[in-house]
Amino acid sequence: MTMFKKILIANRGEIAVRIIRTCREMGIHSVAVYSDVDAAAAHVLEADEAVLLGEPEPSASYLNIERIIAVATSTGAEAIHPGYGFLAENPEFAKCCETAGITFIGPPSSVLRDLGNKTVARRIMESANVPVIPGMLEASNDIALLGREAEQIGYPVMVKAAAGGGGKGMRIIFDPKTMEESCISAMSEAEKAFGDGSLYLEKHMEAPRHVEFQMLADHHGNVVHLFERECSIQRRYQKIIGETPSPAMTPTLRNEMGKVAVSAIKASGYTNAGTVEFLLDQSRQFYFLEVNARLQVEHPITEMTTGIDCVRQQLEIAAGNPLRFTQEDITHRGHAIECRIYAEDPEANFFPSPGGITLYREPCGPGIRNDSGIYEGFEVPMEYDPILSKLIVTAQTREEVRQRMLRALRTYVILGIRTTIPFLIDVLSSPEFVKGNTHTGFIDHHFESWSQSREDEDVARIAYVIEEITSHGKASAKVSEKGWPTPWETLGEWRI
Amino acid sequence: MKYRLKILEEMVDVDVSHSDSEQTVQAIIEGKEYNVHYQNVMGRCFHLAINEKLTEVFVVTGNQGKHVFVNGRTFFVQDAGQLIARRARRKGSEEIPGEVTPPMPSVVLRIMVKEGERVKRGQGIVVVSAMKMQTTLAAPTDGTVKKIHTTIDAKVAPGDILVEIEKEAVENE
Repeated sequence: MTMFKKILIANRGEIAVRIIRTCREMGIHSVAVYSDVDAAAAHVLEADEAVLLGEPEPSASYLNIERIIAVATSTGAEAIHPGYGFLAENPEFAKCCETAGITFIGPPSSVLRDLGNKTVARRIMESANVPVIPGMLEASNDIALLGREAEQIGYPVMVKAAAGGGGKGMRIIFDPKTMEESCISAMSEAEKAFGDGSLYLEKHMEAPRHVEFQMLADHHGNVVHLFERECSIQRRYQKIIGETPSPAMTPTLRNEMGKVAVSAIKASGYTNAGTVEFLLDQSRQFYFLEVNARLQVEHPITEMTTGIDCVRQQLEIAAGNPLRFTQEDITHRGHAIECRIYAEDPEANFFPSPGGITLYREPCGPGIRNDSGIYEGFEVPMEYDPILSKLIVTAQTREEVRQRMLRALRTYVILGIRTTIPFLIDVLSSPEFVKGNTHTGFIDHHFESWSQSREDEDVARIAYVIEEITSHGKASAKVSEKGWPTPWETLGEWRI
Repeated sequence: MKYRLKILEEMVDVDVSHSDSEQTVQAIIEGKEYNVHYQNVMGRCFHLAINEKLTEVFVVTGNQGKHVFVNGRTFFVQDAGQLIARRARRKGSEEIPGEVTPPMPSVVLRIMVKEGERVKRGQGIVVVSAMKMQTTLAAPTDGTVKKIHTTIDAKVAPGDILVEIEKEAVENE
């Protein structure tokens, strides 16, 4: 069994911290990289070594391929873990690692290239008998052709960018009259985001569930799945709540979907950890959506229910070691939910809310895991994705997990910036979520113009007054220096 | 003591009497009476017994008000009296022009107006971006752009006045 001695983590925030933790447990030396504004970020403080990349703009820092490869070489890192986002699914980056003789912890660059192009991925899947959503297999820039295809598929249709991701260049079209206009705007959005404006069409599905399978594939031909996650609760096509098992799953369906997911991975020549995403319709038909060729944001709920450390598996696979278990060895137990905690104002259309964290208290207790990239005194920069942390909760049943998650969210204190916590509390408390009636349109349908409950406003007013009375005469609270707070800062007033 | 407190756009009067030695507060808010015993633990954490019901709250004082955490929700509470005094000091006049200010720390991407330009309420004035999201800040009122205080690529924060708009004088038709 071989293993790396030192790896570089080309990411920031909670995911970089998450990866460093497993490295520490495995005795692997970790190298963090960071931009100017992240000099005191959690991942820098947690790593064994940290190297400055440059200016805060992603192109100068976390997306700067040349610089990251140079840092890996100069620090003697044998492999690079890209996390998710930034360079994680960039075939050029994977190629540069391969050329520099550094192991890219993920699939080969050629596989990233194939799967990154959504119509190429659809063709690969169709030839492997993986059911794809009815629609086009070749992308096009020809609006007249797209119009004819739409007629054939039948409205409503979904317009998607061939090079797509993150909801960019995506439109749902119900009315043929708006087809041309929507294609023009989607094309220009895709051109701007990916440098490729070509589009394809898929049949629009009514209220499907988003169900995905966590996959592991080694370099010895072994492919296993670690069961499903349901991530139907989304805003702006981005998941905010994930759970496993899916409330819609049956053992037969799980078995069937798992087998299809394994053939999808085999057909694309995929190695390392990846996720095969499906849409599941109301009649329990499922369709391939895409492969997320990286460690998924929701991977912790799979870890909590299977006991398998996904990052450890990624490192083992990248080092060339075979999987030490077969499909039959893998079991799941209980239920888990993950909530993504974003620095966003849910009352202002989820507009990002960067800034300083003036008070931070994490929830704790049985079955609670918090993967966080922030701390009290940290300044959340405005340059990057607004994810702050992920709260993961496990228990025996879905209802127990839901109650536990509510307790955890209600004791998760993040002050100084707006977060999605109060919104998540209301989603988890809603009758439709309780029943498990989740689908990708859930937020738009049930929470369109959400505002925070006015309950407890009097408590807030009373708290204001009491703080005013008790702080009278005291020096105003000092803003803490950057870095981990010392016990002297967090302990507050105390007496022996 | 009387406080006039603002949460969102709503002002509410709070009548308070308190005892430092007993650590108690009696508050009347919109006719409702609250008897509170408080204990300050761990700096900004308070344990309250409000009409015998125990609640843990966290309070942090910011620039223009206090952030209060209650049961998973955060409220931004401001002292309306102080706010009015501050505004009056800054302006020195009754006439408060329309101000375009960012809701969040962000970067200015585009300025869509020029000084002296007449604008309509709701018209896009400045486009700002934060964390890969863009938003357009609109004119709060009809009027004339009096002064632009920002430039493209400037980092801005809530409370910064990016553009001042002078309200249109009501004309007789």
